[in-house]
Amino acid sequence: MLHDPVCRDAALCIRNLSVFVDGRGVVQDASLSVPKGEIHGLLGPNGAGKTTLLRTLYRATRPASGRIEAFGREMDSHSHGEWAQVLGALVQSAGLLAGLTPRDIVEIGLEAKGLGRGEVRRRLDEALGIVGLTDKADQSAERLSGGELQRCYFAQLLACDPQVYVLDEPTNHLDLHYQLVLLDEVRRRGRTVLMCLHDLTLAMRYCHKVYLMQSGRIVASGAPATLLSRDMLMTHYRVDAQFRGASLDVTGPV
Amino acid sequence: MPARFPILLVATLGGLLFVALAGVLWGTAQISWADRFAILMRDETAPRGLSLIVWQWRIPRVLAVGLIGAGLALAGALMQTALRNPMADPYLMGLSSGASAAAVAAIIWLPTGMTDRLGVPLIAFLGAALAFVMTIGLSQRRGRMPDPLVVILAGVAVSLMFQSLTAFFLYVGDPHATRNAMGWLMGTAAGTQWHEVPMLGLSLVVVGAVALRNANALDATLLGEERAQALGFRIGRIRLLIFVATVLLTGLAVSVAGIVGFVGLIVPHMARLLTGARHRVLLPLTMALGAVVLITVDLLCRLLLAPEELPLGVLLALFAAPPFILILRGIRHAA
Repeated sequence: MLHDPVCRDAALCIRNLSVFVDGRGVVQDASLSVPKGEIHGLLGPNGAGKTTLLRTLYRATRPASGRIEAFGREMDSHSHGEWAQVLGALVQSAGLLAGLTPRDIVEIGLEAKGLGRGEVRRRLDEALGIVGLTDKADQSAERLSGGELQRCYFAQLLACDPQVYVLDEPTNHLDLHYQLVLLDEVRRRGRTVLMCLHDLTLAMRYCHKVYLMQSGRIVASGAPATLLSRDMLMTHYRVDAQFRGASLDVTGPV
Repeated sequence: MPARFPILLVATLGGLLFVALAGVLWGTAQISWADRFAILMRDETAPRGLSLIVWQWRIPRVLAVGLIGAGLALAGALMQTALRNPMADPYLMGLSSGASAAAVAAIIWLPTGMTDRLGVPLIAFLGAALAFVMTIGLSQRRGRMPDPLVVILAGVAVSLMFQSLTAFFLYVGDPHATRNAMGWLMGTAAGTQWHEVPMLGLSLVVVGAVALRNANALDATLLGEERAQALGFRIGRIRLLIFVATVLLTGLAVSVAGIVGFVGLIVPHMARLLTGARHRVLLPLTMALGAVVLITVDLLCRLLLAPEELPLGVLLALFAAPPFILILRGIRHAA
């Protein structure tokens, strides 16, 4: 297998990726690479193409062109099942869950990985414990709140524990306690992570590097402390705000 | 797997055995207990006429009805998974309306010789397949997965079109042929023959086995398209497989027993309430329950107005309405 030389040292590598939806270039010529064990963040206003870029990684959308590699494996030369063993995702989407319980949801993920019964049980209990759903494990998922459901899907991903985590708005619906607990857990595991975030203070806290997306293109990248300047927030987020250490002082929209 | 699943399955299979025996032992013809056993044991002393009724008439009918009930319930469960909608039903895809329109057209318009040679069942099956292709065709969007809700709405549109065609045919057709066609439309298992049983059995076994082998993928489908894809399942393929299986099961059922509604809608719900939504346990229970329900209803159809027979569809709709309303209320509650 031939590797892109730029990708050689990266655990997750995206080269010149373009994605079209209804003839519109939603992602255009995007390149990025995440070294093993680092957490990188995709930032940008609504509609910048962050989710579409992530969807391409877990193969919900086919790219028009470009190359994606994870741990030296090229995406297109692997089956969907094989790819899912390497790269797992936390997805933004609602589902009808008639008759399913949190235990079922986590188990479905683990069985897709083809693990043995004992291992499934062990990981299931551990993951439900981390997200604090042990007590509700056998209750109908329809009765969970939005945040509890998000924790449930987080548990599925933590239980599967792939080498690459792709997280689309992982803190959606979560209270502050669980935002920190779950992202701390991801960081503790030392996996390679690419996530998109709206909360800039979380990006500042967890990301080794962030990319700024605008109209389908990655327009800037760098360490969060450098990239998230007052000028950048003014231009791209249309807010007057400034980081002081890890906290964001917001004056208001512009 | 819920701990109570083995007990539930055994109980349901026990129930199945019981209603199947009841379906064979009871009927319009009065047979004494001694004769019943003699007939079942194929004893020499059994009265020939009654033996013929049991072996050539009741047994194939009970078998066929059981297989149809199991098949329709399985098709319903799969369809509800594919479309992620608890109100989905094989008949919602326009299948029954297509089958009805084709069958009624054949009964009323085609020369009797031709209808007999082709057989109303085959014609109905082709009608179902045509309606299905139209529904899927209407809900396709270029290069994208059809939205489940759009599939259901397309099914409703196709159903309406074929229903109006059916009504038109009945309106302009001559009264005798129309009465024949009406009988077929309401669904009946009367006159089922042995040669129809293997076809029903084979399709049920094949679809059931394929579905159970892919239980993981079906479970993942419940979580939604995106999540299933992220877990490495190719949801487009799974949906296509389900749709083909549904046409096969429903088309065959319609072709043998006419329109038998509601089984595919209500039975999977009952099973899901009893054992949860994981397909490894849901599908076997759904099939067994479907068989129990339809055999029971068919027996009641034979007994209630004996010696007249009620159409299956009439009694089913009567029984199905209350649970249907409960499901609807349950959904509104959840939303």
